[in-house]
Amino acid sequence: MLSVNNLDTTFAALADPTRRAIIARLAQGEATVQDLARPFSISQPAISRHLKVLEEAGLIETRIEGTARPRRLKPEAVETLWEWLGQYRALWEKQFEKLDAVLDSLTEEAGEMPSDTRERSPS
Amino acid sequence: MNSDSNKLQVVQDGETDIIVRRFFSHPPARVWRALTDPMLIPQWLGEMKRCEMDARPGGSFHYEWDEFAFSGPVLAVDAPHHMVHVEHFSGDAAYNAEITTDLVAHGTGTRMTVMMRYANAEARAAAIANGFTDSLEETYGKLEAVQVKE
Repeated sequence: MLSVNNLDTTFAALADPTRRAIIARLAQGEATVQDLARPFSISQPAISRHLKVLEEAGLIETRIEGTARPRRLKPEAVETLWEWLGQYRALWEKQFEKLDAVLDSLTEEAGEMPSDTRERSPS
Repeated sequence: MNSDSNKLQVVQDGETDIIVRRFFSHPPARVWRALTDPMLIPQWLGEMKRCEMDARPGGSFHYEWDEFAFSGPVLAVDAPHHMVHVEHFSGDAAYNAEITTDLVAHGTGTRMTVMMRYANAEARAAAIANGFTDSLEETYGKLEAVQVKE
């Protein structure tokens, strides 16, 4: 299990869409800062700051290879991401609660009996 | 109306799949309508600037928000119980998931199972990183609001 502190750090790291995109890119294999900066319209120093946040959250690591410093996803990061998403599943549930409400409204709009037990559409 | 049975389940299965399960207290035909009618989809998935869904074999769908879009072909349909479609994400050309939706009548309600299958374990990890099931920014906006309150 993640400690509360780790979860906060992970949350802060992943709350930013650019950092989520960086994680998604690194899930496909290691990449240099230049590689990572290319698809984004922001500077390499800005990317480096995002990388620092992700590294501090324990999601990525730096490999040293001569003068190159490719970043990669830490092997345990995917499990961390999964757990983190699980903690916030209640928020996704809100989307399905909206769907429940849409379904309730359809009952009335379609003029169907509330006790309608048909299992297949008549079409 | 048992709230436990309504509970959302999201599990990883094998190397490449994510399975979402949810019960709705309405019959499959009605759930199908809410899932596939472009007039209804934005009411629960969030307002979008383009919403198209042609839920027929050979059809396609396109959901577009300001910053990103999901789109792809519809491969198989057996209304109101079964649909298979492919989902591409505008933010990542490599993202590609095959999504199988099944609606099974259970009492007067519906058990929905959505199986999201990715090309490989790496692709699934990337999808998880992107917060695969939410209407991304909206949910993260809510997350941020929750954080601010604390």
